[in-house]
Amino acid sequence: MTELLGYAIPGIPFGCVFALMAIGLVLTYTTSGVFNLAFGAQAFVSGLAFVSLISDGWPRWAAALLAIVVLGPAVGLALDRLLFRRVRTASPIVKLVPSLGLLIALPQLALIIAGSVPTIAPPALFLDAQRVYAHVLGVPVSGLELSIMVATAAVVALLLVLARATPLGLQMRAVVESPRLVELSGINAGRVGATAWVISSCFAGLAGVLLAPLYSQIDPQNYTVLLVWGIAAAVIARFESIPLALGGGLALGIGQQVLAGYLPPGVIASGLRPSLPFIVLLVFLPFGRRNRIEDPLAGCDPPPSTMVEDARRYRPASALAVGADVGTRAVGLWHRALGAGPSESLAARAVRRPTTVVAWTLAALAVLSALTWVPADWLLTMTQGLAFGTVFVSLTLLTGMSGQISLCQASFAGLGGFVAGQLATQMGWPVLVAGVAGGALAALLGVIVALPTLRLAGLPLALATLAFALLADNVLFPVSWLGDGASGVRLPRPSIGPVRFAAARPFFILALVLLVVSAGVVKRIGDGTTGRYLFAMRGSETAASSVGIDVRKLRIGVFAISAGIAGVGGALYGSLQGSLVPEDFNYEISLVLLVVAAIVGLGSIGGAVVAGLVYTTLQRAVATLPTRYAGLVAVLFGLATLSYTRHPEGIVDFLAGRFSELWARLLGALRTPGYGRDAPAPEPEAEPAHGVARP
Amino acid sequence: MTAGAPALDVDGLSASYGHLRALFDVSFSVDPGAAVALVGANGAGKSTVARVVTGLVPAGAGRVRIGGTDVTGRHAWEIARRGVTHVTEGRSVFSSLTVEENLVLTFRATLGRAGVGAALERSFAAFPRLGERRGQSAGTLSGGEQRMLALARALGSPPKLLVVDELSFGLAPVVVEQVYAALDRVRDEGCALLLVEQHVDRALRLADRVVVLRKGRVVADGPPAELAPKLDELVLGPGPG
Repeated sequence: MTELLGYAIPGIPFGCVFALMAIGLVLTYTTSGVFNLAFGAQAFVSGLAFVSLISDGWPRWAAALLAIVVLGPAVGLALDRLLFRRVRTASPIVKLVPSLGLLIALPQLALIIAGSVPTIAPPALFLDAQRVYAHVLGVPVSGLELSIMVATAAVVALLLVLARATPLGLQMRAVVESPRLVELSGINAGRVGATAWVISSCFAGLAGVLLAPLYSQIDPQNYTVLLVWGIAAAVIARFESIPLALGGGLALGIGQQVLAGYLPPGVIASGLRPSLPFIVLLVFLPFGRRNRIEDPLAGCDPPPSTMVEDARRYRPASALAVGADVGTRAVGLWHRALGAGPSESLAARAVRRPTTVVAWTLAALAVLSALTWVPADWLLTMTQGLAFGTVFVSLTLLTGMSGQISLCQASFAGLGGFVAGQLATQMGWPVLVAGVAGGALAALLGVIVALPTLRLAGLPLALATLAFALLADNVLFPVSWLGDGASGVRLPRPSIGPVRFAAARPFFILALVLLVVSAGVVKRIGDGTTGRYLFAMRGSETAASSVGIDVRKLRIGVFAISAGIAGVGGALYGSLQGSLVPEDFNYEISLVLLVVAAIVGLGSIGGAVVAGLVYTTLQRAVATLPTRYAGLVAVLFGLATLSYTRHPEGIVDFLAGRFSELWARLLGALRTPGYGRDAPAPEPEAEPAHGVARP
Repeated sequence: MTAGAPALDVDGLSASYGHLRALFDVSFSVDPGAAVALVGANGAGKSTVARVVTGLVPAGAGRVRIGGTDVTGRHAWEIARRGVTHVTEGRSVFSSLTVEENLVLTFRATLGRAGVGAALERSFAAFPRLGERRGQSAGTLSGGEQRMLALARALGSPPKLLVVDELSFGLAPVVVEQVYAALDRVRDEGCALLLVEQHVDRALRLADRVVVLRKGRVVADGPPAELAPKLDELVLGPGPG
């Protein structure tokens, strides 16, 4: 009994912090519809501010006040105003990407501002952290534990009183159901939502300050872990119940410590504890939101983009369409030569589709440059870009075309790379064959991820894949026969018979070929019947299955192909680098991949290729700066989400659209489709068309 | 508030959902204490007019005036505070709140803390059934009772304008009579009514004027007696024969 308590009581402070996180998540999710993953980052910012201020000599109470009550809500309110308010009624991915971007960017921004991580041991919020104040059944309770428990109990009690016994609480409970009905009652629902946002940001700030002393030093990594536990507790609470979030957080905190206490040491055991959230998510996610009351006034929003628009979007920007064009053009010329009637001339077609011409000219110039004058270090960056482009293409298929949000794409890529490496170095397989085998195993992993998540979509699917990425990081990649922990895996460059790809330029060609092949596969899928099925599934899985599409088979298939392509991309990257370590493809990379893909353009294959190049080029550019600015890439991606909320189609498609428009205007031949002709042109900067989102 | 101004004046209104345009140059007005029925086929834009009037959907062009005051572009909550109550299509109450909480929420916002008690009493006097269930969550009420709860908001503190969208939809005939009786009572308090209704016959008995919408445009506007004989053609458009 004492042994059990001895494990359980140190778990309570963790449980309290998880619970605070979960309550913050639930509060904003229910009142604004945004699942704010950036809470992890907000907690870190407050924690860092608290410790930094104290190390600068501030009194503890003043530092805590500033970090929790001023900084926490200020950051939260700013994010709400700048980002989240715009996306409240948007699709799940548009809601998710800004919070992911901030989750990555905010800690790095804070570290750049702070200059350095304070080296002092973070103190408790109050009391002496190390002193033992009481014994419970013989188990000592330290000031650290006591302070966390008291603070948590106090704020949770305060919140419950606020929710149950004040007008604001009543309004908040009403906003959960329908912000518009609240507005019709004469209440400014936007203000109520903002208040809820401020309160939950205080919770995030408090969680951040309380978590700091549980570790010897303040580290963003711990805060992402905190976020994941908080997510698990929020899922237990079905995203809606604050008491359940508290209970879930406590249960998880105690559970993980007890588990750690009783399990024998070893890779599996030390991996099992961090993967507990994954198990919780998989078990509880299918039960989430079943009783959720739908907003009766949801019809006031403008309709989401239709299938036709989606289908149209995939066409103009996909550079590979040119391949098909060449064929039709040739046929057209041949027809004309035979005098078989008027056909569009090559020049006329080029004038009509300027983006395609520009895209291909740029691509051809880039390839020519790479093969001739580009210096070796930049050639490496470009080749890396092609390898990541392959991974981004896999996201285009899975998330862009099929609407399945994946936060474990880097895990697929990593598995492909590690398997290829092990097969090539341990079994002596030819590298190319090993790479294909890696892709195949990654595809198998894709099926394994798809199966338990078949019933999940949108946010729950994103969370489940995130949890899976953590599972892969903690259990799969550290084992010696796969990622082999810190030492990593070697993967040489391949050769086919006498042709060796060891040198930089031949390898560039190989990477280019692999990218084009993957892009071709995805392009073919998108253009064919399966592509129509995917668009249908993306629109509504229920509707798709009602017209006879086997959505389960489709989902498993698309996960497998996407994971396979990502796996090949991972192997390609590994072969380029010569070796891989698990950090190359951990869950954070998965998050970054999705954010970059979404910002640059999930909507087209061209977007994926540009995303790969942007991703590696930016990293290389920032690597030349002093180490203090190492996080600048992450900050840039975070800032880019500001543009993303305005242009969810991504930068590439946006620019392509703008360019086409200007071109058409230049030709004085601006022709728009006839349907809805007399509708007023939507202003690009217009606020979302519904009552709640306006400030 | 200008003396003698109509309770509601809609002037050249247009509105869209995304790229889809729903209203084209809609104009009509509702005099103080009068009842106007807005009729039309499915998708004619009736509910959209109601939503634009109460600020749920932004107007693309045109003006909405409540009691002479221009409220175009105002937030829904500001318009509600100016004395406009909107009973929306379908469920128009907060299921998870109790009957009393539903009413308190509105009354506190529109009347202030001091007015809540009296308004509650008036509502429960008008609908004793709601008084009996004041502690019950609104989601457990029957469809008719939920409509009554939504109307009770108007009875507790008579608004200048009550906008009612599809009041009879999904209700048993007996219950339809009950809720229409409640509507009569609201009107007796001097409140103007804008009635969106597919159940045309019932609406015409109450209304002083009928505005017919077809494909987002006003095609007729006049007293019920005058329009009733040719209403079918007005609503559906000229037939093939």
